[in-house]
This record gives sequence, C-alpha cells and structure tokens, in this order.
Amino acid sequence: MTGVHDLGGSPGAGPIDKSQHETEDWERLADAVTVALDKRGIKTTDEHRRAIESLDPERYRKLGYYERWIAATELLLVEKGILTREEIDQKAAKLEERWG
Amino acid sequence: MTPAKFEPGDRVRVRADEQPGHVRTPGYVRGKTGRIERFLGAFKNPESLAYGGSGLPEKPLYKVGFRQTDLWDGYAGRAQDALYVDLYEHWLEPARKETL
Repeated sequence: MTGVHDLGGSPGAGPIDKSQHETEDWERLADAVTVALDKRGIKTTDEHRRAIESLDPERYRKLGYYERWIAATELLLVEKGILTREEIDQKAAKLEERWG
Repeated sequence: MTPAKFEPGDRVRVRADEQPGHVRTPGYVRGKTGRIERFLGAFKNPESLAYGGSGLPEKPLYKVGFRQTDLWDGYAGRAQDALYVDLYEHWLEPARKETL
C-alpha cells in the first residue's frame, strides 16, 4: 500500500483534471514563503514533500495544491519549534476578524 | 559514494518493498523490470533529507526506462511506448538479460 499521494495507476482514479485557473495572491504568497524558508535553510524540499504526504488522506484529497503547501509549512514550522500551533491559530483568528 | 553499479542497457528490477516513510519510487514501478537508460549522478538521499537528516552518503540515481505494456494492464497505446522514471540505485536489483 502506497501513500495517498502516490496515485499513478490507481484503479478508478479517472482522467486528470487539466483545467487551469488564474494564480491567486494567496497562492503566490504560499509559494514565496515556502521558497524563502528553503533558501534560509529552515526546511528542505524533501521535508516539504514528506509533510504533504503525511497529511490525513481525507484532508489530503480535499485540499488544493497550495493549500497542501500551507498545511506542510505549518506542520514543519511547528515541528521545528519556530511557531506553536496556538500562535498560528491566534494569528489566523485575528486575520479572520479583520477581513470578516 | 560507491561507484555506480549499473550501466546503460542493464536490465533492472525495482524492489517491491512497501517501505514506510518518504520515498521517491512510485508505487506503479515497484516489482517491475526496466532498463537503465543513463546514470544521472549521485545525490543526497531524499529518504533521509525528508526527516531532517544529512542525506549522506549520496546515492547514485539513474534514468530507468519501462515498457508501458509492462506497467499497465490492457495498455492500449503502441507496443514500443516507454515511460522513464528517475530511480535511486538502492531501489534497483539486477534482472535477467533479455531484449527490451
């Protein structure tokens, strides 16, 4: 049994959805933060991939590409003791309040 | 790193192991036989880098060609269609020589 990410050849997976959408600002930001953390030597691409693959399968399927990136970055920052889950949740709550 | 064990043209079989953790060997080639296309160099081991390890010693990486008909049951394309996957040496074992 391979992980949820290892989809190649899965029976019944259906055709690949090749539809495109305009890149949104939050997606650019997710990309930028990830690359910046890599360049600063805080995490590696391989850790990033491992973190994505470790997401709960149900959650993995539900999240979009950059949503998975954000989830992985959050997981690694907590794992490395740079941020706590509480700090992230508090900041998210504050932003939500400001933006409604 | 140890000298590369395989040469272009060598028949290799991909380990069928279900190794836990982060690996770069897709499930659909495990247990399958292919042919070394070329040696790509030695790289830090992603299976170690993924968990914050050093990735050393570096592992030899090869481009390995597979017949699509060997990978997918009922493959409807041309018989000579091939699929190439970059695979680390420690996932490969020598396979019987035969014409590809």
